[in-house]
Amino acid sequence: MIRDNKVQTILRVDLSLGKTRLETLPEEWTAKYIGCRGVHSRLLFDEVPPKADPFGPDNILYIGTGPLEGTPIGMGRLSVACKSPRGTVAEGSCGGFFGPELRRAGIDYIAVSGKADRPVYLWLHDGEAEIRDARHLWGRKVNETDALLREELSDPDVQFRYIGPAGENLVHSSPIFGNRDNSGGRAGCGEVMGSKKLKAIAVRGSGGIRVADYEGFLKAYRNFHRRVAVATSRDVWTPIWGAYGAPVIVRVFNDQGGIMTRNAQEMHWDEEKCNRVSAEPYLEKYVTRAKACFCCPLPACKKQHAIRSGPFEGFRGGNLWAAIPSIFGPLLDNDDLELIIVMAGMCNQYGLDVFHVAYTLAWAMECFEKGIFTQADTDGLDLRFGCPDKAGLVELIRKIALREGFGDLLARGCAGASKIVGKGSEKFALVVKGQELEGIAHRNSYMVALGVAVSEVGPDHTRWYPPHPGHPALLKNEDLASLGVHLDLAKASQGRNPEEKGKVLRWFTMSRAIVESLPSCVFLVRDTLGFDLHPWHDLFQAVTGIQMDYAEFIRAGERVMNLDRAFLVREGFRRADDRPPFRMANEDVPDFGFPKLDAAIFDRMLDDYYQANGWSLKTSIPRQSKLEELGLGDVSRDLEKCGMEVEP
Amino acid sequence: MKRIYVIEDLCNGCRLCQTFCSSLKTGVFNPDDPQTGIRVLKMPGEEQDIPLVQCSGTCLRSIGGNEEPTCVTLCPTGALIYGNLEFARSRRMELAAARETHGLFKVLAPWKWPFPWARPQKDSGKA
Repeated sequence: MIRDNKVQTILRVDLSLGKTRLETLPEEWTAKYIGCRGVHSRLLFDEVPPKADPFGPDNILYIGTGPLEGTPIGMGRLSVACKSPRGTVAEGSCGGFFGPELRRAGIDYIAVSGKADRPVYLWLHDGEAEIRDARHLWGRKVNETDALLREELSDPDVQFRYIGPAGENLVHSSPIFGNRDNSGGRAGCGEVMGSKKLKAIAVRGSGGIRVADYEGFLKAYRNFHRRVAVATSRDVWTPIWGAYGAPVIVRVFNDQGGIMTRNAQEMHWDEEKCNRVSAEPYLEKYVTRAKACFCCPLPACKKQHAIRSGPFEGFRGGNLWAAIPSIFGPLLDNDDLELIIVMAGMCNQYGLDVFHVAYTLAWAMECFEKGIFTQADTDGLDLRFGCPDKAGLVELIRKIALREGFGDLLARGCAGASKIVGKGSEKFALVVKGQELEGIAHRNSYMVALGVAVSEVGPDHTRWYPPHPGHPALLKNEDLASLGVHLDLAKASQGRNPEEKGKVLRWFTMSRAIVESLPSCVFLVRDTLGFDLHPWHDLFQAVTGIQMDYAEFIRAGERVMNLDRAFLVREGFRRADDRPPFRMANEDVPDFGFPKLDAAIFDRMLDDYYQANGWSLKTSIPRQSKLEELGLGDVSRDLEKCGMEVEP
Repeated sequence: MKRIYVIEDLCNGCRLCQTFCSSLKTGVFNPDDPQTGIRVLKMPGEEQDIPLVQCSGTCLRSIGGNEEPTCVTLCPTGALIYGNLEFARSRRMELAAARETHGLFKVLAPWKWPFPWARPQKDSGKA
């Protein structure tokens, strides 16, 4: 079967009835929402009823790709979405090889509703779907599930998405895994998948993807490739990121004075310690080979590693990614790179969210230091900062996934655990909308503070984080204006200047929404691609054959952003929920001298952001005029029907 | 005679070569197309990827100009080499020498790295 890319299909799976059905989505959706994250935002708003029980049969888990997937632009990106157990949107994107295989099987989206009465997995091959028994897989770790399923289906090219024991046990924030070390949907997509008793999805397709204008595609691909390939990119970050990967950021951030240390009590880490967990020792000692997602032009943003000696001898894994060295390192004051590798590897094997584990451990360590916990509470574990009991910590991660002993408390996440413990520990639980933070510091960069606070999924920097906000060498303000971006780049890239932050955040959120809807990888927003989306616009037109002007293409991103916000406000979130964590707003940083994030300054940035978006300054609900302008009049009517004050 | 040589160690398994190759004749991206001149076998457990070449290297249409097949131009790590046997040997030796100097070349061929590289002094403690 050869796919064209105008019409997208959705496989509806009702696990309560044990039935599946393949449908097509309206053709105009490809122009209006593009695909992937964009279509998921629309489906979530339309199909998940307001105030639905996240673990009930009404919550729907979407897994899907977009029109550019299967071509080399797709990069294997896959979006997973559902309503988060915290009530927010839970949407995340992951790489690997599942996306292209799904499209080649004739399916663009999977919508899983209902609840199975026993563990099952889905086996999809060329448009056909089977719901199969998965009792033998239940309780298995991620790597074991991968190996067992591959054996069972006896085809090396079958691709999987699965959850680990953490997802089965509804552990806070657990994501969905694939290709062993790729994960996505950390706001709780794994929890929801576990609540539906869906252990895994396996897919194999034999189709091909035909692009509408192949010559146009080649031309646009050359243009795109030149900007993102290691050898030709004008962006100095590209080779560093592409070859070294994320471990570089510990030292880079520390030099900028912004690495969260000891549960963000401080923001500077000892330089020697930084060097010990940085990219160079990782490459020299542990890396075995490079790995990549489908058709990625970067050589080694993901790597396989193995520990060859010492207490963790023989531990293998991959993908030391997403600021892992900075959250398992400085945040816990741990300068042992092997322990970082093992803790991250344990999270991957048990299907846990690394951010949840790292921040909850950091919170527990601070409780331990402040005397809120004693060794009697922690099952005898010495839980000081600096990680003196390494084996004990690794064991604790297993207990979190299986909800045993002290692990059961931590499995509720920072916010949940601090509510139970009390005694002032809520003040240093670093959460926004119930979700743990990530590896980027707030008090030295107001844009980060604002972006994390307003995000519809809880902290998720990939929705807006510009790798290098300024780009002064490549783009001038005049160039930006010609691209339809009206802001002062110099002011926007000053860390602690509240000016322009609302506008620049709006732009990045919108443009990232487009990239994730195509889909393509947000880590390739390099060179001038953060502001100039023309290469992506050309690729979209060449692949789908839909002619659309540039401004309309950008508007698709704005639509996605507004749909996410509409879902969030319908669930009862308001302006008061768009807040930085207590610590960032109320405590000064002692050593580097960054003061707390002043409430007046933050409110000003928030006003700017809402104003720029056309949202109500009082409630953060999108205004009716804005929704009408975007062709989302039905959304505004739906919000009014739910009894909300939508301003005109 | 020029042909495509493979350094298996460097393959990261992205399948950019295979996917692009499949499209050059028909305009359809299908890595399983039987006419595809290069296939990447993925070993279970994400441990290793092995490119197999069944192609003379005279590319139907080269994305980066006529001197080099598309797969070699696009290979991000340098796992594919186009040239005669002598050239392929020299590339392998270049890689082996570079690997003595820095761990970066476990994942990337030195001719794909845009910066000149100098080994940092071991005792200085800083890169």
